[in-house]
Amino acid sequence: MLAVEYFEVECPEPLGGDYYKQITNDVLLDHNLLKVIEKIHVYIDPKVPVFIAVGILKPITTVVRVGDIANINPLEGKMTLVITDETYLASMLKIFWERFGKDKVEQPDRFTVVLYNVQADPKDLEQIVIGHPGESVNRDLIYALRCVAPEGFRLRSEHFEPGKFTFVASENTLAEDIDALVKEKFALMGEVP
Amino acid sequence: MTLVPVTYKGGIYQHDIVTDLIEDLGGYVVQKHVLAQEVVLQCFVPKDDIELIREISRPIFGEVTDSPLVGTEIAVVSMSLEIHHLPHPSCDIAEYVRRIGAKSNMVSLARGPGKRITGLNDEERDVINEHDIAVYLMGNFETCIEHKMPILLRGIEVPVVVCGGPDKETLIRIVDPPVEGYVGGVGRFMRRTKEADQLDKLDEIIAEITRVLEKKREDIAKDPLSVSPARLMNLIRERVPAILEVTSPTPLTVQMAGLRVKLPYDTFAPELRRMEIEDGITLGDVAEIVPSRMRDYILVKVLPFSETNTVI
Repeated sequence: MLAVEYFEVECPEPLGGDYYKQITNDVLLDHNLLKVIEKIHVYIDPKVPVFIAVGILKPITTVVRVGDIANINPLEGKMTLVITDETYLASMLKIFWERFGKDKVEQPDRFTVVLYNVQADPKDLEQIVIGHPGESVNRDLIYALRCVAPEGFRLRSEHFEPGKFTFVASENTLAEDIDALVKEKFALMGEVP
Repeated sequence: MTLVPVTYKGGIYQHDIVTDLIEDLGGYVVQKHVLAQEVVLQCFVPKDDIELIREISRPIFGEVTDSPLVGTEIAVVSMSLEIHHLPHPSCDIAEYVRRIGAKSNMVSLARGPGKRITGLNDEERDVINEHDIAVYLMGNFETCIEHKMPILLRGIEVPVVVCGGPDKETLIRIVDPPVEGYVGGVGRFMRRTKEADQLDKLDEIIAEITRVLEKKREDIAKDPLSVSPARLMNLIRERVPAILEVTSPTPLTVQMAGLRVKLPYDTFAPELRRMEIEDGITLGDVAEIVPSRMRDYILVKVLPFSETNTVI
Protein backbone atom coordinates (compact mmCIF):
# COMPACT_ATOMS: atom_id res chain seq x y z
CA MET A 1 0.00 0.00 0.00
CA LEU A 2 2.97 2.26 0.56
CA ALA A 3 3.73 2.47 -3.12
CA VAL A 4 0.36 4.10 -3.83
CA GLU A 5 0.26 7.86 -3.36
CA TYR A 6 -3.52 8.10 -2.99
CA PHE A 7 -5.81 5.22 -2.09
CA GLU A 8 -9.37 5.92 -0.97
CA VAL A 9 -12.56 3.93 -0.89
CA GLU A 10 -15.71 5.99 -0.56
CA CYS A 11 -18.97 4.38 0.46
CA PRO A 12 -22.16 5.56 2.20
CA GLU A 13 -21.91 2.49 4.46
CA PRO A 14 -18.72 3.03 6.48
CA LEU A 15 -18.25 -0.61 7.47
CA GLY A 16 -18.86 -1.81 3.92
CA GLY A 17 -16.35 0.78 2.73
CA ASP A 18 -13.72 -0.58 5.12
CA TYR A 19 -14.26 -4.12 3.84
CA TYR A 20 -13.97 -2.92 0.26
CA LYS A 21 -10.74 -1.09 1.01
CA GLN A 22 -9.33 -4.37 2.28
CA ILE A 23 -10.65 -6.26 -0.76
CA THR A 24 -9.21 -3.68 -3.18
CA ASN A 25 -5.85 -3.82 -1.44
CA ASP A 26 -5.78 -7.64 -1.40
CA VAL A 27 -6.78 -8.00 -5.05
CA LEU A 28 -4.34 -5.39 -6.34
CA LEU A 29 -1.59 -6.91 -4.22
CA ASP A 30 -2.37 -10.42 -5.45
CA HIS A 31 -2.26 -9.27 -9.06
CA ASN A 32 0.97 -7.37 -8.44
CA LEU A 33 -0.67 -4.13 -9.55
CA LEU A 34 0.00 -1.86 -6.58
CA LYS A 35 3.40 -1.00 -8.01
CA VAL A 36 1.90 0.35 -11.25
CA ILE A 37 -0.85 2.41 -9.64
CA GLU A 38 -0.07 5.92 -8.48
CA LYS A 39 -3.53 7.00 -7.36
CA ILE A 40 -6.81 5.14 -7.04
CA HIS A 41 -10.23 6.23 -5.86
CA VAL A 42 -13.04 3.71 -5.48
CA TYR A 43 -16.65 4.76 -4.97
CA ILE A 44 -19.38 2.26 -4.18
CA ASP A 45 -23.00 3.03 -3.51
CA PRO A 46 -25.04 -0.16 -3.03
CA LYS A 47 -28.29 1.82 -2.99
CA VAL A 48 -27.97 3.15 -6.58
CA PRO A 49 -26.18 0.65 -7.20
CA VAL A 50 -22.91 1.80 -8.75
CA PHE A 51 -19.21 0.99 -8.50
CA ILE A 52 -16.63 3.45 -9.80
CA ALA A 53 -12.87 3.03 -9.77
CA VAL A 54 -10.72 5.80 -11.19
CA GLY A 55 -6.99 6.07 -11.06
CA ILE A 56 -3.67 7.26 -12.34
CA LEU A 57 -1.00 4.81 -13.49
CA LYS A 58 2.73 5.15 -13.21
CA PRO A 59 4.53 5.21 -16.55
CA ILE A 60 5.97 1.78 -17.29
CA THR A 61 9.05 2.16 -19.43
CA THR A 62 11.02 -0.83 -18.29
CA VAL A 63 11.39 -3.99 -20.34
CA VAL A 64 12.26 -7.46 -19.09
CA ARG A 65 15.53 -8.93 -20.37
CA VAL A 66 16.96 -12.45 -20.13
CA GLY A 67 19.39 -11.26 -17.45
CA ASP A 68 16.46 -10.19 -15.23
CA ILE A 69 14.98 -13.67 -14.94
CA ALA A 70 17.95 -16.02 -15.46
CA ASN A 71 21.56 -16.58 -14.43
CA ILE A 72 23.72 -17.70 -17.33
CA ASN A 73 26.51 -20.22 -16.72
CA PRO A 74 28.59 -20.65 -19.86
CA LEU A 75 30.47 -23.94 -20.16
CA GLU A 76 32.30 -25.45 -23.08
CA GLY A 77 29.84 -25.88 -25.94
CA LYS A 78 26.77 -25.13 -23.89
CA MET A 79 25.20 -22.40 -21.79
CA THR A 80 22.98 -23.24 -18.82
CA LEU A 81 20.34 -20.72 -17.81
CA VAL A 82 18.99 -21.03 -14.29
CA ILE A 83 15.55 -19.42 -14.23
CA THR A 84 14.57 -17.43 -11.18
CA ASP A 85 11.16 -16.17 -12.34
CA GLU A 86 9.14 -18.17 -14.83
CA THR A 87 6.63 -15.43 -15.75
CA TYR A 88 8.42 -14.66 -19.00
CA LEU A 89 9.88 -18.15 -19.56
CA ALA A 90 7.51 -19.02 -22.41
CA SER A 91 8.25 -15.86 -24.36
CA MET A 92 12.00 -16.32 -23.76
CA LEU A 93 11.89 -19.87 -25.16
CA LYS A 94 9.97 -18.66 -28.19
CA ILE A 95 12.62 -16.03 -28.90
CA PHE A 96 15.42 -18.59 -28.45
CA TRP A 97 13.72 -21.03 -30.84
CA GLU A 98 13.38 -18.35 -33.48
CA ARG A 99 16.94 -17.13 -33.07
CA PHE A 100 18.89 -20.36 -32.54
CA GLY A 101 16.57 -23.15 -33.69
CA LYS A 102 14.68 -25.70 -31.63
CA ASP A 103 17.47 -28.32 -31.84
CA LYS A 104 19.81 -26.07 -29.89
CA VAL A 105 17.44 -25.19 -27.07
CA GLU A 106 16.56 -27.70 -24.41
CA GLN A 107 14.61 -27.41 -21.18
CA PRO A 108 15.48 -30.41 -18.99
CA ASP A 109 13.38 -29.19 -16.10
CA ARG A 110 11.11 -26.34 -15.07
CA PHE A 111 13.86 -23.96 -13.95
CA THR A 112 16.68 -24.84 -16.36
CA VAL A 113 17.21 -24.01 -20.02
CA VAL A 114 20.31 -25.24 -21.86
CA LEU A 115 21.59 -23.77 -25.13
CA TYR A 116 23.94 -26.05 -27.12
CA ASN A 117 26.61 -24.77 -29.51
CA VAL A 118 25.26 -21.25 -29.60
CA GLN A 119 27.71 -18.68 -30.93
CA ALA A 120 26.74 -15.79 -28.71
CA ASP A 121 28.33 -13.81 -25.95
CA PRO A 122 26.58 -14.42 -22.59
CA LYS A 123 26.54 -10.67 -22.05
CA ASP A 124 24.64 -10.15 -25.31
CA LEU A 125 22.32 -12.98 -24.39
CA GLU A 126 21.49 -11.26 -21.12
CA GLN A 127 20.38 -8.16 -23.01
CA ILE A 128 17.75 -9.88 -25.18
CA VAL A 129 14.34 -8.31 -24.48
CA ILE A 130 11.73 -10.96 -23.65
CA GLY A 131 8.80 -9.02 -22.25
CA HIS A 132 7.02 -5.66 -22.05
CA PRO A 133 5.11 -5.52 -18.74
CA GLY A 134 3.30 -2.36 -19.80
CA GLU A 135 1.48 -4.15 -22.61
CA SER A 136 -0.67 -6.33 -20.39
CA VAL A 137 -1.23 -3.90 -17.52
CA ASN A 138 -4.61 -2.64 -18.77
CA ARG A 139 -5.91 -6.15 -19.26
CA ASP A 140 -4.70 -7.16 -15.79
CA LEU A 141 -6.23 -4.06 -14.27
CA ILE A 142 -9.65 -4.73 -15.83
CA TYR A 143 -9.55 -8.28 -14.51
CA ALA A 144 -8.52 -7.11 -11.03
CA LEU A 145 -11.23 -4.44 -10.88
CA ARG A 146 -13.84 -6.99 -11.98
CA CYS A 147 -12.77 -9.05 -8.96
CA VAL A 148 -13.04 -6.04 -6.66
CA ALA A 149 -16.45 -4.88 -7.88
CA PRO A 150 -19.48 -6.64 -6.35
CA GLU A 151 -20.32 -9.63 -8.48
CA GLY A 152 -23.84 -8.60 -9.37
CA PHE A 153 -22.52 -5.43 -11.06
CA ARG A 154 -22.36 -6.89 -14.52
CA LEU A 155 -22.99 -3.87 -16.70
CA ARG A 156 -19.60 -2.32 -17.11
CA SER A 157 -17.98 0.57 -18.84
CA GLU A 158 -14.19 0.68 -18.94
CA HIS A 159 -12.03 3.44 -20.27
CA PHE A 160 -8.28 3.11 -20.37
CA GLU A 161 -5.79 5.54 -21.82
CA PRO A 162 -2.07 5.88 -21.17
CA GLY A 163 -1.66 6.84 -17.54
CA LYS A 164 -5.36 6.87 -16.58
CA PHE A 165 -8.21 4.48 -16.12
CA THR A 166 -11.92 4.57 -15.37
CA PHE A 167 -13.97 1.52 -14.47
CA VAL A 168 -17.69 1.86 -13.89
CA ALA A 169 -19.99 -1.04 -13.08
CA SER A 170 -23.58 -1.41 -12.04
CA GLU A 171 -26.38 -3.89 -11.77
CA ASN A 172 -28.73 -1.60 -13.67
CA THR A 173 -28.26 0.38 -16.84
CA LEU A 174 -25.61 3.03 -16.25
CA ALA A 175 -27.01 6.50 -15.74
CA GLU A 176 -26.43 9.04 -18.50
CA ASP A 177 -24.72 11.46 -16.14
CA ILE A 178 -22.18 8.88 -14.98
CA ASP A 179 -19.38 10.86 -16.65
CA ALA A 180 -20.03 13.77 -14.29
CA LEU A 181 -19.63 11.43 -11.32
CA VAL A 182 -16.41 10.04 -12.78
CA LYS A 183 -15.13 13.60 -13.25
CA GLU A 184 -16.00 14.35 -9.63
CA LYS A 185 -14.01 11.35 -8.43
CA PHE A 186 -11.01 12.37 -10.52
CA ALA A 187 -11.26 15.84 -8.99
CA LEU A 188 -11.04 14.31 -5.50
CA MET A 189 -7.61 13.00 -6.46
CA GLY A 190 -6.67 16.37 -7.89
CA GLU A 191 -6.77 15.09 -11.46
CA VAL A 192 -8.90 15.48 -14.56
CA PRO A 193 -10.26 12.53 -16.56
CA MET B 1 -28.68 -45.09 25.80
CA THR B 2 -27.66 -41.63 24.65
CA LEU B 3 -25.30 -41.57 21.72
CA VAL B 4 -22.97 -38.59 21.46
CA PRO B 5 -20.90 -37.55 18.44
CA VAL B 6 -17.12 -37.79 18.90
CA THR B 7 -13.99 -37.88 16.76
CA TYR B 8 -11.24 -40.41 17.35
CA LYS B 9 -7.77 -39.58 16.04
CA GLY B 10 -4.90 -41.97 16.29
CA GLY B 11 -2.36 -44.12 14.54
CA ILE B 12 -3.45 -46.71 12.02
CA TYR B 13 -1.70 -49.43 14.05
CA GLN B 14 -4.25 -51.43 16.07
CA HIS B 15 -7.05 -48.96 15.42
CA ASP B 16 -9.29 -51.99 14.86
CA ILE B 17 -9.38 -52.36 18.63
CA VAL B 18 -11.16 -49.01 18.87
CA THR B 19 -13.49 -49.72 15.94
CA ASP B 20 -14.51 -53.05 17.47
CA LEU B 21 -14.94 -51.48 20.89
CA ILE B 22 -17.24 -48.77 19.54
CA GLU B 23 -19.36 -51.36 17.76
CA ASP B 24 -19.46 -53.64 20.82
CA LEU B 25 -20.60 -50.76 22.98
CA GLY B 26 -23.47 -50.10 20.58
CA GLY B 27 -21.94 -47.10 18.86
CA TYR B 28 -21.55 -46.42 15.16
CA VAL B 29 -18.63 -45.32 13.02
CA VAL B 30 -20.09 -42.76 10.63
CA GLN B 31 -16.96 -41.90 8.66
CA LYS B 32 -13.48 -43.33 8.56
CA HIS B 33 -10.57 -41.48 7.00
CA VAL B 34 -7.19 -43.08 6.67
CA LEU B 35 -4.55 -40.43 6.01
CA ALA B 36 -1.10 -41.97 5.62
CA GLN B 37 -0.30 -43.34 9.11
CA GLU B 38 -3.21 -41.60 10.79
CA VAL B 39 -6.79 -42.65 11.12
CA VAL B 40 -9.75 -40.39 11.91
CA LEU B 41 -13.02 -41.95 12.97
CA GLN B 42 -16.15 -39.88 13.24
CA CYS B 43 -18.55 -41.81 15.36
CA PHE B 44 -21.51 -41.94 17.70
CA VAL B 45 -20.70 -43.56 21.01
CA PRO B 46 -22.70 -44.10 24.23
CA LYS B 47 -22.22 -41.10 26.49
CA ASP B 48 -21.28 -43.19 29.53
CA ASP B 49 -18.59 -45.11 27.68
CA ILE B 50 -16.47 -42.23 26.39
CA GLU B 51 -14.06 -42.59 29.30
CA LEU B 52 -13.70 -46.29 28.59
CA ILE B 53 -12.83 -45.59 24.95
CA ARG B 54 -10.32 -42.97 26.08
CA GLU B 55 -8.74 -45.44 28.47
CA ILE B 56 -8.49 -48.24 25.94
CA SER B 57 -7.12 -45.98 23.22
CA ARG B 58 -4.47 -44.42 25.49
CA PRO B 59 -1.82 -47.15 24.99
CA ILE B 60 -2.15 -46.80 21.21
CA PHE B 61 -1.97 -42.96 21.44
CA GLY B 62 -5.53 -42.38 20.33
CA GLU B 63 -7.35 -39.19 21.17
CA VAL B 64 -11.10 -38.78 21.62
CA THR B 65 -12.62 -35.33 21.21
CA ASP B 66 -16.17 -34.00 21.17
CA SER B 67 -17.44 -33.22 17.68
CA PRO B 68 -20.93 -31.82 17.86
CA LEU B 69 -21.29 -31.72 14.09
CA VAL B 70 -20.71 -35.42 13.37
CA GLY B 71 -23.70 -36.91 11.62
CA THR B 72 -24.95 -33.65 10.19
CA GLU B 73 -25.06 -32.49 6.61
CA ILE B 74 -24.58 -28.76 6.15
CA ALA B 75 -25.35 -26.69 3.06
CA VAL B 76 -22.91 -23.82 2.65
CA VAL B 77 -24.83 -21.50 0.38
CA SER B 78 -22.51 -19.40 -1.72
CA MET B 79 -23.87 -16.67 -3.95
CA SER B 80 -21.93 -17.97 -6.94
CA LEU B 81 -18.90 -20.02 -7.94
CA GLU B 82 -17.03 -16.93 -9.18
CA ILE B 83 -13.68 -15.82 -7.82
CA HIS B 84 -15.56 -13.18 -5.79
CA HIS B 85 -16.70 -15.85 -3.34
CA LEU B 86 -14.30 -18.73 -3.89
CA PRO B 87 -12.01 -19.96 -2.46
CA HIS B 88 -12.47 -17.33 0.27
CA PRO B 89 -14.65 -17.30 2.24
CA SER B 90 -16.94 -20.10 0.96
CA CYS B 91 -14.35 -22.88 0.82
CA ASP B 92 -12.70 -21.77 4.05
CA ILE B 93 -15.98 -22.14 5.93
CA ALA B 94 -17.01 -25.37 4.18
CA GLU B 95 -13.62 -26.85 4.98
CA TYR B 96 -13.66 -25.67 8.60
CA VAL B 97 -16.99 -27.32 9.38
CA ARG B 98 -15.70 -30.50 7.73
CA ARG B 99 -12.79 -30.60 10.14
CA ILE B 100 -15.07 -31.02 13.10
CA GLY B 101 -17.07 -33.80 11.62
CA ALA B 102 -19.86 -32.28 9.52
CA LYS B 103 -20.45 -33.26 5.93
CA SER B 104 -20.64 -29.97 4.11
CA ASN B 105 -21.89 -29.41 0.60
CA MET B 106 -21.46 -26.15 -1.17
CA VAL B 107 -24.64 -24.94 -2.83
CA SER B 108 -23.99 -22.21 -5.30
CA LEU B 109 -26.88 -20.21 -6.63
CA ALA B 110 -27.39 -19.62 -10.32
CA ARG B 111 -28.68 -16.11 -9.70
CA GLY B 112 -27.22 -15.40 -6.30
CA PRO B 113 -25.28 -12.18 -6.90
CA GLY B 114 -26.83 -8.78 -7.31
CA LYS B 115 -29.62 -7.00 -5.51
CA ARG B 116 -32.33 -6.69 -8.14
CA ILE B 117 -31.46 -9.82 -10.15
CA THR B 118 -31.10 -12.24 -7.26
CA GLY B 119 -33.26 -15.33 -7.18
CA LEU B 120 -33.62 -18.85 -5.89
CA ASN B 121 -34.93 -21.56 -8.20
CA ASP B 122 -36.85 -24.66 -7.18
CA GLU B 123 -33.89 -27.01 -7.55
CA GLU B 124 -31.70 -24.87 -5.31
CA ARG B 125 -34.48 -24.56 -2.75
CA ASP B 126 -35.07 -28.33 -2.70
CA VAL B 127 -31.35 -29.13 -2.46
CA ILE B 128 -30.95 -26.74 0.48
CA ASN B 129 -34.01 -28.26 2.16
CA GLU B 130 -32.41 -31.70 1.98
CA HIS B 131 -29.75 -30.61 4.48
CA ASP B 132 -29.86 -30.29 8.27
CA ILE B 133 -28.91 -26.62 8.24
CA ALA B 134 -28.05 -23.96 5.66
CA VAL B 135 -25.25 -21.43 6.17
CA TYR B 136 -25.84 -18.39 3.95
CA LEU B 137 -22.69 -16.47 3.09
CA MET B 138 -23.75 -12.94 2.27
CA GLY B 139 -21.82 -9.86 1.24
CA ASN B 140 -20.62 -6.72 2.97
CA PHE B 141 -23.48 -4.27 2.45
CA GLU B 142 -26.52 -3.95 4.68
CA THR B 143 -28.65 -2.64 1.82
CA CYS B 144 -28.01 -5.72 -0.29
CA ILE B 145 -28.54 -8.24 2.52
CA GLU B 146 -31.78 -6.55 3.55
CA HIS B 147 -33.03 -6.60 -0.03
CA LYS B 148 -31.95 -10.14 -0.88
CA MET B 149 -32.77 -12.21 2.19
CA PRO B 150 -36.58 -12.37 1.76
CA ILE B 151 -36.02 -13.74 -1.76
CA LEU B 152 -33.29 -16.19 -0.80
CA LEU B 153 -35.24 -17.54 2.18
CA ARG B 154 -38.42 -18.19 0.21
CA GLY B 155 -39.45 -21.83 0.70
CA ILE B 156 -36.49 -22.72 2.92
CA GLU B 157 -37.65 -24.99 5.73
CA VAL B 158 -34.35 -25.94 7.38
CA PRO B 159 -32.71 -23.75 10.04
CA VAL B 160 -30.54 -21.00 8.55
CA VAL B 161 -27.42 -19.24 9.83
CA VAL B 162 -26.68 -15.97 8.04
CA CYS B 163 -23.09 -14.72 7.81
CA GLY B 164 -22.52 -11.20 6.56
CA GLY B 165 -20.26 -8.18 6.72
CA PRO B 166 -22.40 -6.00 9.06
CA ASP B 167 -22.27 -6.74 12.78
CA LYS B 168 -24.59 -9.26 14.41
CA GLU B 169 -27.04 -6.70 15.80
CA THR B 170 -27.47 -5.13 12.37
CA LEU B 171 -28.02 -8.55 10.80
CA ILE B 172 -30.68 -9.37 13.38
CA ARG B 173 -32.36 -6.07 12.56
CA ILE B 174 -32.30 -6.34 8.77
CA VAL B 175 -32.83 -10.03 8.01
CA ASP B 176 -36.47 -10.62 7.34
CA PRO B 177 -37.95 -13.20 7.90
CA PRO B 178 -35.83 -13.84 10.99
CA VAL B 179 -33.53 -16.84 10.89
CA GLU B 180 -32.10 -19.08 13.59
CA GLY B 181 -28.51 -17.84 13.70
CA TYR B 182 -26.45 -14.78 12.80
CA VAL B 183 -22.70 -14.22 12.51
CA GLY B 184 -21.53 -10.68 11.81
CA GLY B 185 -18.21 -9.53 10.42
CA VAL B 186 -17.91 -12.38 7.91
CA GLY B 187 -18.78 -10.92 4.54
CA ARG B 188 -16.91 -11.10 1.27
CA PHE B 189 -13.14 -11.06 1.60
CA MET B 190 -10.34 -12.06 -0.73
CA ARG B 191 -7.68 -13.46 1.59
CA ARG B 192 -7.07 -16.78 3.27
CA THR B 193 -8.36 -17.13 6.81
CA LYS B 194 -5.19 -17.86 8.72
CA GLU B 195 -4.77 -15.03 11.25
CA ALA B 196 -5.97 -15.56 14.82
CA ASP B 197 -8.87 -13.10 14.55
CA GLN B 198 -10.09 -14.68 11.32
CA LEU B 199 -9.94 -18.14 12.87
CA ASP B 200 -11.90 -16.79 15.83
CA LYS B 201 -14.60 -15.74 13.37
CA LEU B 202 -14.69 -19.26 11.92
CA ASP B 203 -15.02 -20.62 15.47
CA GLU B 204 -17.89 -18.20 16.00
CA ILE B 205 -19.64 -19.63 12.93
CA ILE B 206 -19.12 -23.16 14.28
CA ALA B 207 -20.50 -22.13 17.69
CA GLU B 208 -23.58 -20.64 16.05
CA ILE B 209 -24.15 -23.72 13.86
CA THR B 210 -23.71 -25.97 16.90
CA ARG B 211 -26.17 -23.90 18.91
CA VAL B 212 -28.80 -24.08 16.18
CA LEU B 213 -28.26 -27.80 15.62
CA GLU B 214 -28.45 -28.54 19.35
CA LYS B 215 -31.86 -26.91 19.36
CA LYS B 216 -32.90 -29.06 16.41
CA ARG B 217 -31.58 -32.15 18.23
CA GLU B 218 -33.68 -31.24 21.25
CA ASP B 219 -36.75 -30.91 19.04
CA ILE B 220 -36.09 -34.31 17.51
CA ALA B 221 -35.59 -35.82 20.98
CA LYS B 222 -39.11 -34.73 21.96
CA ASP B 223 -40.50 -37.05 19.29
CA PRO B 224 -37.69 -39.58 18.74
CA LEU B 225 -36.92 -41.14 15.40
CA SER B 226 -38.17 -44.66 14.73
CA VAL B 227 -34.65 -45.79 13.94
CA SER B 228 -31.27 -44.13 14.31
CA PRO B 229 -29.83 -42.96 10.95
CA ALA B 230 -26.38 -44.22 12.02
CA ARG B 231 -27.79 -47.67 12.58
CA LEU B 232 -29.49 -47.57 9.20
CA MET B 233 -26.16 -46.68 7.63
CA ASN B 234 -24.56 -49.86 9.01
CA LEU B 235 -27.54 -51.96 7.94
CA ILE B 236 -27.52 -50.63 4.39
CA ARG B 237 -23.80 -51.25 4.19
CA GLU B 238 -24.39 -54.88 5.18
CA ARG B 239 -27.51 -55.60 3.12
CA VAL B 240 -26.94 -53.58 -0.05
CA PRO B 241 -23.51 -54.60 -1.34
CA ALA B 242 -23.76 -52.18 -4.29
CA ILE B 243 -23.01 -49.32 -1.88
CA LEU B 244 -19.49 -50.67 -1.44
CA GLU B 245 -18.84 -50.08 -5.13
CA VAL B 246 -19.67 -46.36 -4.93
CA THR B 247 -16.53 -44.24 -5.21
CA SER B 248 -17.98 -41.12 -3.60
CA PRO B 249 -16.17 -40.13 -0.37
CA THR B 250 -19.30 -40.70 1.70
CA PRO B 251 -21.57 -43.18 -0.14
CA LEU B 252 -23.93 -43.05 2.83
CA THR B 253 -24.26 -39.61 4.35
CA VAL B 254 -25.80 -39.54 7.79
CA GLN B 255 -28.08 -36.65 8.60
CA MET B 256 -29.81 -35.79 11.85
CA ALA B 257 -33.12 -37.29 10.76
CA GLY B 258 -32.22 -39.27 7.71
CA LEU B 259 -29.68 -40.57 5.33
CA ARG B 260 -28.52 -39.82 1.81
CA VAL B 261 -27.82 -43.01 -0.13
CA LYS B 262 -25.69 -42.38 -3.17
CA LEU B 263 -27.24 -45.04 -5.38
CA PRO B 264 -29.63 -44.55 -8.33
CA TYR B 265 -33.20 -44.13 -7.08
CA ASP B 266 -35.01 -46.15 -9.74
CA THR B 267 -32.83 -49.22 -9.30
CA PHE B 268 -32.37 -49.32 -5.56
CA ALA B 269 -35.38 -47.62 -3.94
CA PRO B 270 -37.62 -50.76 -4.03
CA GLU B 271 -34.78 -52.85 -2.57
CA LEU B 272 -34.29 -50.33 0.24
CA ARG B 273 -38.01 -50.21 0.99
CA ARG B 274 -38.09 -54.00 1.33
CA MET B 275 -34.98 -54.13 3.50
CA GLU B 276 -35.83 -55.69 6.86
CA ILE B 277 -34.48 -53.92 9.91
CA GLU B 278 -35.73 -56.14 12.74
CA ASP B 279 -38.65 -58.46 13.50
CA GLY B 280 -40.22 -58.09 10.10
CA ILE B 281 -40.19 -54.28 10.19
CA THR B 282 -38.92 -52.98 6.89
CA LEU B 283 -37.26 -49.70 6.10
CA GLY B 284 -40.35 -48.69 4.13
CA ASP B 285 -42.40 -48.94 7.35
CA VAL B 286 -40.30 -46.50 9.34
CA ALA B 287 -38.96 -44.15 6.71
CA GLU B 288 -39.94 -42.27 3.60
CA ILE B 289 -37.72 -43.14 0.66
CA VAL B 290 -37.76 -40.31 -1.84
CA PRO B 291 -35.61 -39.27 -4.79
CA SER B 292 -33.05 -36.63 -3.92
CA ARG B 293 -32.70 -33.49 -6.03
CA MET B 294 -28.97 -34.05 -5.83
CA ARG B 295 -28.08 -36.16 -8.90
CA ASP B 296 -30.17 -39.37 -8.81
CA TYR B 297 -29.46 -40.19 -5.19
CA ILE B 298 -31.92 -41.58 -2.68
CA LEU B 299 -33.02 -39.67 0.39
CA VAL B 300 -34.19 -41.70 3.36
CA LYS B 301 -36.29 -39.60 5.74
CA VAL B 302 -36.75 -41.45 9.01
CA LEU B 303 -40.23 -40.98 10.44
CA PRO B 304 -40.73 -40.04 14.10
CA PHE B 305 -42.25 -42.30 16.72
CA SER B 306 -45.55 -40.38 16.63
CA GLU B 307 -46.14 -41.44 13.03
CA THR B 308 -45.00 -45.08 13.14
CA ASN B 309 -45.58 -46.04 16.76
CA THR B 310 -42.38 -48.04 16.57
CA VAL B 311 -38.87 -47.48 17.86
CA ILE B 312 -36.26 -50.04 16.91
